Amino acid sequence: MRLSMIAACFAVLLVSSCTSTRTASTSAPPTGVQVPAPSDTAAQTIRPEPAAPPPPAAAPPAASSATSATAAKSKSAAEHPTKQAGEAAPPRPSPAAAATSKSPAPPTLNLADLEQRLRDTRAIGVFTKLSLKNQVDDLLNEFRTLYKGADKHPTAEMRQQYDLLLLKVLSLLQDGDPSLAAAISSSREAIWGILSDPDKFAKI
Amino acid sequence: MRIRIFVLTFMVGLTGAPLFAADDASMGKDLKATIVLQGMPCDSVMDAKRNADSDYTVSCKDGNRYHVFVNAQGRVVVQKL
Repeated sequence: MRLSMIAACFAVLLVSSCTSTRTASTSAPPTGVQVPAPSDTAAQTIRPEPAAPPPPAAAPPAASSATSATAAKSKSAAEHPTKQAGEAAPPRPSPAAAATSKSPAPPTLNLADLEQRLRDTRAIGVFTKLSLKNQVDDLLNEFRTLYKGADKHPTAEMRQQYDLLLLKVLSLLQDGDPSLAAAISSSREAIWGILSDPDKFAKI
Repeated sequence: MRIRIFVLTFMVGLTGAPLFAADDASMGKDLKATIVLQGMPCDSVMDAKRNADSDYTVSCKDGNRYHVFVNAQGRVVVQKL
């Protein structure tokens, strides 16, 4: 009788200690990683994984463009120190504006890589991925229908639909896989450039 | 004696529940995102009953109920019940 009670108590303690260590290990985020407070344990266990490895191909262009932009800015500041220091009154924004507009290089688009990362990400569930794929296919079918006709210019509604779809993807990714969200966000215009060009669209 | 055993069993169930809740939480999140993506309201998933593979009956906290499934054409369908 007593033995069975002791065994039961031991089992309770064992299970409760397991859960407490598990929640303790998952609920306290690592101090080095800046992650917003997650809502559930599933997301907590998943979240550090995509953030840990550096983004393979799509993120570096954004980062490199940002660094190149800052480098270009600092370079232009180093080349023209007197302009910034002395002349505040004469409005001569054209050289500086030209330098800043030239510096951010267009991000190189790797559609296959983005697609693979979207497939692999654990920030979006299977049902949601399938639902998104359906909506992407619908939009692609609209483009196919458009390019079969005489007028090959995408309508404003199609652009709106594209923006809305991208917003949905970004909102789903921004917490669970921020690097992929940034990569997709920086590729927004490049993807639209492919979709809105019949020749480029035919190649995908 | 029976009461003690009942209490112990209840405690074990209570403490062990989070171990198995992670999958349910992620599934609930997935179903909620799917419903919202189709433009239907669901603040949070209270209950999701699995009818078959890729076929769920979902009850949301706001009282809405949905049948979420993948049809033969591979499309995710959300039907309001």
